[in-house]
Amino acid sequence: MIRNNLYLLLSGACLLGYSWIALNYLDPAFSDNKYFNGCLIKAITGIPCPSCGTTRSVLALSRGEILNSVMLNPFGLIVLLILLATPVWILVDLLRKKETLAQCYRYIETLLLCPGVAIPVIAIVLCNWIWNIYKGL
Amino acid sequence: MEASKVDMFIMANAKNFESYQLSQIRDKLIAADESKWPMVQMVQLKDPSTSLIISIFVGHFGIDRFIIGDVGIGVGKLLTCGGFGIWTIIDWFMIQGATREKNMEKMQQIL
Repeated sequence: MIRNNLYLLLSGACLLGYSWIALNYLDPAFSDNKYFNGCLIKAITGIPCPSCGTTRSVLALSRGEILNSVMLNPFGLIVLLILLATPVWILVDLLRKKETLAQCYRYIETLLLCPGVAIPVIAIVLCNWIWNIYKGL
Repeated sequence: MEASKVDMFIMANAKNFESYQLSQIRDKLIAADESKWPMVQMVQLKDPSTSLIISIFVGHFGIDRFIIGDVGIGVGKLLTCGGFGIWTIIDWFMIQGATREKNMEKMQQIL
Protein backbone atom coordinates (compact mmCIF):
# COMPACT_ATOMS: atom_id res chain seq x y z
CA MET A 1 0.00 0.00 0.00
CA ILE A 2 1.23 3.48 -0.83
CA ARG A 3 2.43 5.41 2.22
CA ASN A 4 -0.10 8.25 2.06
CA ASN A 5 -3.06 5.89 1.61
CA LEU A 6 -1.88 3.81 4.55
CA TYR A 7 -1.47 6.87 6.79
CA LEU A 8 -4.88 8.19 5.75
CA LEU A 9 -6.48 4.82 6.51
CA LEU A 10 -4.73 4.54 9.87
CA SER A 11 -5.64 8.09 10.93
CA GLY A 12 -9.26 7.51 9.89
CA ALA A 13 -9.36 4.26 11.87
CA CYS A 14 -7.82 5.97 14.93
CA LEU A 15 -10.32 8.84 14.71
CA LEU A 16 -13.23 6.39 14.55
CA GLY A 17 -11.74 4.38 17.42
CA TYR A 18 -11.37 7.48 19.60
CA SER A 19 -14.92 8.63 18.79
CA TRP A 20 -16.33 5.20 19.62
CA ILE A 21 -14.45 5.12 22.93
CA ALA A 22 -15.48 8.72 23.73
CA LEU A 23 -19.15 7.89 23.07
CA ASN A 24 -18.92 4.86 25.35
CA TYR A 25 -17.01 6.84 27.98
CA LEU A 26 -19.61 9.61 28.08
CA ASP A 27 -22.53 7.18 28.11
CA PRO A 28 -21.61 3.75 29.52
CA ALA A 29 -24.92 2.33 28.26
CA PHE A 30 -24.29 3.54 24.69
CA SER A 31 -23.42 0.15 23.18
CA ASP A 32 -25.56 -1.76 25.65
CA ASN A 33 -28.78 -1.74 23.66
CA LYS A 34 -30.35 -4.50 21.64
CA TYR A 35 -30.25 -2.61 18.32
CA PHE A 36 -26.56 -1.93 17.89
CA ASN A 37 -23.90 -3.15 20.27
CA GLY A 38 -20.96 -2.78 17.87
CA CYS A 39 -20.75 -6.46 16.98
CA LEU A 40 -22.73 -8.09 14.18
CA ILE A 41 -22.14 -11.65 15.40
CA LYS A 42 -23.24 -10.87 18.94
CA ALA A 43 -26.28 -8.95 17.70
CA ILE A 44 -27.41 -11.85 15.50
CA THR A 45 -26.39 -14.97 17.40
CA GLY A 46 -25.91 -13.71 20.96
CA ILE A 47 -22.48 -15.38 21.07
CA PRO A 48 -19.56 -12.98 21.60
CA CYS A 49 -16.82 -12.77 18.92
CA PRO A 50 -13.07 -12.90 19.75
CA SER A 51 -12.85 -9.12 20.17
CA CYS A 52 -16.08 -8.50 22.08
CA GLY A 53 -15.39 -6.62 25.30
CA THR A 54 -12.49 -4.64 23.84
CA THR A 55 -14.27 -1.31 24.41
CA ARG A 56 -15.00 -2.17 28.04
CA SER A 57 -11.40 -3.33 28.41
CA VAL A 58 -10.01 -0.05 27.02
CA LEU A 59 -12.35 1.93 29.29
CA ALA A 60 -11.18 -0.11 32.29
CA LEU A 61 -7.57 0.64 31.32
CA SER A 62 -8.35 4.35 31.11
CA ARG A 63 -9.55 4.12 34.72
CA GLY A 64 -6.29 2.36 35.63
CA GLU A 65 -7.86 -1.04 36.29
CA ILE A 66 -5.26 -3.15 34.47
CA LEU A 67 -6.23 -6.55 35.92
CA ASN A 68 -9.90 -5.88 35.31
CA SER A 69 -9.24 -4.95 31.68
CA VAL A 70 -7.11 -8.06 31.02
CA MET A 71 -9.84 -10.22 32.56
CA LEU A 72 -12.41 -8.57 30.25
CA ASN A 73 -10.41 -8.96 27.04
CA PRO A 74 -6.60 -8.82 26.64
CA PHE A 75 -7.10 -7.36 23.13
CA GLY A 76 -7.96 -4.07 24.90
CA LEU A 77 -4.26 -3.64 25.75
CA ILE A 78 -3.22 -4.10 22.10
CA VAL A 79 -5.95 -1.77 20.83
CA LEU A 80 -5.09 0.97 23.35
CA LEU A 81 -1.40 0.65 22.47
CA ILE A 82 -2.20 1.00 18.74
CA LEU A 83 -4.58 3.92 19.41
CA LEU A 84 -1.98 5.77 21.48
CA ALA A 85 1.06 5.04 19.32
CA THR A 86 -0.31 5.43 15.77
CA PRO A 87 -1.25 9.18 15.75
CA VAL A 88 2.06 10.16 17.37
CA TRP A 89 4.01 7.91 14.99
CA ILE A 90 2.20 9.33 11.93
CA LEU A 91 2.88 12.91 13.08
CA VAL A 92 6.56 12.20 13.71
CA ASP A 93 6.86 10.49 10.30
CA LEU A 94 5.15 13.39 8.51
CA LEU A 95 7.31 15.97 10.27
CA ARG A 96 10.55 14.08 9.60
CA LYS A 97 9.38 13.18 6.04
CA LYS A 98 10.17 9.50 6.62
CA GLU A 99 8.11 6.34 6.43
CA THR A 100 9.13 4.30 9.44
CA LEU A 101 5.50 3.41 10.27
CA ALA A 102 4.86 2.13 6.73
CA GLN A 103 8.05 0.05 6.94
CA CYS A 104 7.02 -1.32 10.32
CA TYR A 105 3.52 -2.09 8.96
CA ARG A 106 5.00 -4.01 6.01
CA TYR A 107 7.39 -5.86 8.33
CA ILE A 108 4.53 -6.94 10.61
CA GLU A 109 2.50 -8.02 7.55
CA THR A 110 5.29 -10.29 6.29
CA LEU A 111 5.97 -11.53 9.82
CA LEU A 112 2.33 -12.52 10.36
CA LEU A 113 2.33 -14.45 7.08
CA CYS A 114 5.09 -16.81 8.33
CA PRO A 115 3.51 -20.05 9.56
CA GLY A 116 5.73 -19.99 12.66
CA VAL A 117 4.09 -16.75 13.79
CA ALA A 118 0.65 -17.17 12.21
CA ILE A 119 -0.19 -20.50 13.89
CA PRO A 120 0.47 -19.32 17.49
CA VAL A 121 -1.41 -16.06 16.81
CA ILE A 122 -4.43 -18.00 15.46
CA ALA A 123 -4.26 -20.30 18.50
CA ILE A 124 -4.22 -17.30 20.87
CA VAL A 125 -7.20 -15.71 19.07
CA LEU A 126 -9.14 -18.98 19.25
CA CYS A 127 -8.33 -19.43 22.96
CA ASN A 128 -9.46 -15.86 23.60
CA TRP A 129 -12.69 -16.55 21.73
CA ILE A 130 -13.40 -19.66 23.82
CA TRP A 131 -12.61 -17.64 26.96
CA ASN A 132 -14.97 -14.87 25.76
CA ILE A 133 -17.82 -17.36 25.24
CA TYR A 134 -17.08 -18.91 28.64
CA LYS A 135 -17.19 -15.47 30.30
CA GLY A 136 -20.39 -14.63 28.40
CA LEU A 137 -19.29 -11.08 27.50
CA MET B 1 6.87 -14.57 -25.21
CA GLU B 2 4.75 -16.31 -27.83
CA ALA B 3 1.38 -14.63 -28.34
CA SER B 4 -0.51 -17.95 -28.32
CA LYS B 5 0.96 -18.92 -24.95
CA VAL B 6 0.13 -15.51 -23.49
CA ASP B 7 -3.43 -15.67 -24.84
CA MET B 8 -3.90 -19.08 -23.23
CA PHE B 9 -2.72 -17.64 -19.90
CA ILE B 10 -5.02 -14.63 -20.25
CA MET B 11 -8.01 -16.84 -21.09
CA ALA B 12 -7.36 -19.14 -18.14
CA ASN B 13 -6.88 -16.27 -15.66
CA ALA B 14 -9.20 -13.57 -17.01
CA LYS B 15 -11.50 -13.80 -13.97
CA ASN B 16 -8.59 -13.12 -11.60
CA PHE B 17 -7.94 -9.61 -12.96
CA GLU B 18 -9.93 -6.46 -13.61
CA SER B 19 -11.00 -6.29 -17.25
CA TYR B 20 -9.10 -3.05 -17.87
CA GLN B 21 -5.87 -4.70 -16.66
CA LEU B 22 -6.00 -7.58 -19.13
CA SER B 23 -4.64 -5.72 -22.16
CA GLN B 24 -1.84 -4.29 -20.02
CA ILE B 25 -0.91 -7.76 -18.72
CA ARG B 26 -1.01 -9.18 -22.26
CA ASP B 27 1.31 -6.47 -23.59
CA LYS B 28 3.73 -6.93 -20.71
CA LEU B 29 3.74 -10.72 -21.07
CA ILE B 30 4.42 -10.54 -24.81
CA ALA B 31 7.25 -8.08 -24.21
CA ALA B 32 8.69 -10.23 -21.40
CA ASP B 33 11.54 -12.67 -21.85
CA GLU B 34 10.78 -16.38 -22.40
CA SER B 35 12.70 -17.24 -19.19
CA LYS B 36 9.93 -15.60 -17.12
CA TRP B 37 7.31 -18.13 -18.29
CA PRO B 38 7.89 -20.67 -15.46
CA MET B 39 7.56 -17.88 -12.89
CA VAL B 40 4.34 -16.63 -14.51
CA GLN B 41 2.92 -20.14 -14.34
CA MET B 42 4.02 -20.58 -10.72
CA VAL B 43 2.47 -17.36 -9.39
CA GLN B 44 -0.38 -18.12 -7.00
CA LEU B 45 -3.35 -16.03 -8.04
CA LYS B 46 -6.32 -15.86 -5.69
CA ASP B 47 -9.81 -16.54 -6.99
CA PRO B 48 -12.18 -13.57 -6.33
CA SER B 49 -15.19 -15.90 -5.93
CA THR B 50 -13.44 -17.86 -3.18
CA SER B 51 -12.58 -14.68 -1.31
CA LEU B 52 -16.21 -13.55 -1.63
CA ILE B 53 -17.43 -16.81 -0.04
CA ILE B 54 -14.83 -16.48 2.74
CA SER B 55 -15.84 -12.84 3.22
CA ILE B 56 -19.52 -13.71 3.59
CA PHE B 57 -18.95 -16.45 6.15
CA VAL B 58 -15.88 -15.41 8.15
CA GLY B 59 -15.24 -11.84 6.97
CA HIS B 60 -16.17 -10.68 10.47
CA PHE B 61 -12.82 -12.01 11.72
CA GLY B 62 -10.86 -10.45 8.85
CA ILE B 63 -9.97 -13.85 7.39
CA ASP B 64 -10.89 -12.71 3.85
CA ARG B 65 -8.24 -9.98 4.12
CA PHE B 66 -5.67 -12.38 5.59
CA ILE B 67 -6.22 -14.78 2.66
CA ILE B 68 -5.53 -12.17 -0.02
CA GLY B 69 -2.46 -10.90 1.87
CA ASP B 70 -3.85 -7.67 3.39
CA VAL B 71 -2.74 -8.75 6.87
CA GLY B 72 -2.80 -5.28 8.42
CA ILE B 73 -6.42 -4.66 7.44
CA GLY B 74 -7.27 -8.21 8.55
CA VAL B 75 -5.89 -7.54 12.02
CA GLY B 76 -7.83 -4.27 12.09
CA LYS B 77 -11.06 -6.09 11.27
CA LEU B 78 -10.36 -8.81 13.81
CA LEU B 79 -9.66 -6.37 16.64
CA THR B 80 -12.73 -4.21 16.01
CA CYS B 81 -15.47 -6.87 15.71
CA GLY B 82 -15.24 -6.60 11.90
CA GLY B 83 -15.12 -2.80 11.96
CA PHE B 84 -18.28 -2.73 14.13
CA GLY B 85 -19.92 -5.01 11.55
CA ILE B 86 -20.05 -2.18 9.03
CA TRP B 87 -16.70 -2.91 7.41
CA THR B 88 -17.67 -6.58 7.15
CA ILE B 89 -20.67 -5.64 5.02
CA ILE B 90 -18.67 -3.13 2.94
CA ASP B 91 -16.05 -5.84 2.30
CA TRP B 92 -18.70 -8.20 0.86
CA PHE B 93 -18.77 -5.76 -2.04
CA MET B 94 -15.11 -4.70 -2.01
CA ILE B 95 -13.29 -8.00 -1.57
CA GLN B 96 -13.51 -9.20 -5.18
CA GLY B 97 -11.97 -5.97 -6.47
CA ALA B 98 -9.34 -6.08 -3.72
CA THR B 99 -8.44 -9.67 -4.69
CA ARG B 100 -8.02 -8.69 -8.36
CA GLU B 101 -5.84 -5.72 -7.36
CA LYS B 102 -3.65 -8.00 -5.23
CA ASN B 103 -3.34 -10.43 -8.16
CA MET B 104 -2.24 -7.55 -10.36
CA GLU B 105 0.36 -6.54 -7.76
CA LYS B 106 1.73 -10.09 -7.81
CA MET B 107 1.98 -10.05 -11.62
CA GLN B 108 3.70 -6.67 -11.55
CA GLN B 109 6.31 -8.03 -9.15
CA ILE B 110 7.22 -10.73 -11.66
CA LEU B 111 7.06 -8.69 -14.85
